[in-house]
Amino acid sequence: MNLKTRKLAELDRVIHEPGRLMIVALLSAVEQADFLYLQHETEMNKGTLSSHLSRLEEAKYIEVTKTYRGKIPQTLLRLTAEGRQAFAQYRRRMKEAL
Amino acid sequence: MQEHEEVTKMDQVERLMQRPILYDNIDGAGELALGFFFLGYTLLRWLPIHAIWWHRYGVLLGFLLLIAAIHYGVKAIKTHITYPRTGFVEYRKRGYVWKGAIAGAVVGLFIGLGIVLVAHSHWVVGRSHWVLRMPAALFGLIFAAGYAYKIASTVRWKWAMAAAMAICSFEMAMIPAGAIRAMMGRNSAFATAFGALRLTFAFYGLILLISGGISFVLYLRHTQPASETAE
Repeated sequence: MNLKTRKLAELDRVIHEPGRLMIVALLSAVEQADFLYLQHETEMNKGTLSSHLSRLEEAKYIEVTKTYRGKIPQTLLRLTAEGRQAFAQYRRRMKEAL
Repeated sequence: MQEHEEVTKMDQVERLMQRPILYDNIDGAGELALGFFFLGYTLLRWLPIHAIWWHRYGVLLGFLLLIAAIHYGVKAIKTHITYPRTGFVEYRKRGYVWKGAIAGAVVGLFIGLGIVLVAHSHWVVGRSHWVLRMPAALFGLIFAAGYAYKIASTVRWKWAMAAAMAICSFEMAMIPAGAIRAMMGRNSAFATAFGALRLTFAFYGLILLISGGISFVLYLRHTQPASETAE
């Protein structure tokens, strides 16, 4: 196995999945965003997005807050310090591998 | 083959990271705000010269009202239209403060250079020289380039707006100094330079209002308020 392939194999699998990578990349550029924004940008349906968010929350990469905007329920999502670190490391490893 | 796919994937990731910044103007509110600011500023600076009933403290009060109207207007658009349709985003403050400070310093430097240039032309090359209109034309070109790079590069039809801005800058350099002085009501090198700058602000304000207005209408046509089901 050459060095590049080994680097790719070492990538964080939670982030490497395309759907979750999109979510983490978007959240890395903001303080927090709501579910609707992520749905709009990623064009995923509610079920798929929810399942990716659950996986990221399980890995402690995102923090989910349920709140209300007026009378409408709102789900706010923010990348945790751990999540930011993992994404930074992922980008670094990808750059090294390519 | 896999390497090529990964390169493409990383390019997409880098592009995705830029999207939240572009989202800020998805509804055209950013352009509308800047357009109102430019036009309002021009009007507030123009009224004391041409309206005899205008009190001098009116400029300050008008300026405060303008800022408040823009701030609360944008907030109302975001809260009642944008967030319910395409979602809420809170930006990272730290990065924005630094970017704002750097942008402010660059603009300040540019205005300072413009003033030095005007003063220099006043002493050396005479009052009617084209150099008096250069700060306005240069400001216009830099603004048009920034607009093209940041906004028009992502929305194709906005290249027409960037082109209109660039043409406006060239036109500004051609306007006779006498016409600008007549508009300003004063006959000095500074009046010519600042008059040209105000005209640029007025034209750019109008272009930004048109661009922001079109963006806003297109946004309303292409989006719907989200349903209130569980997320």
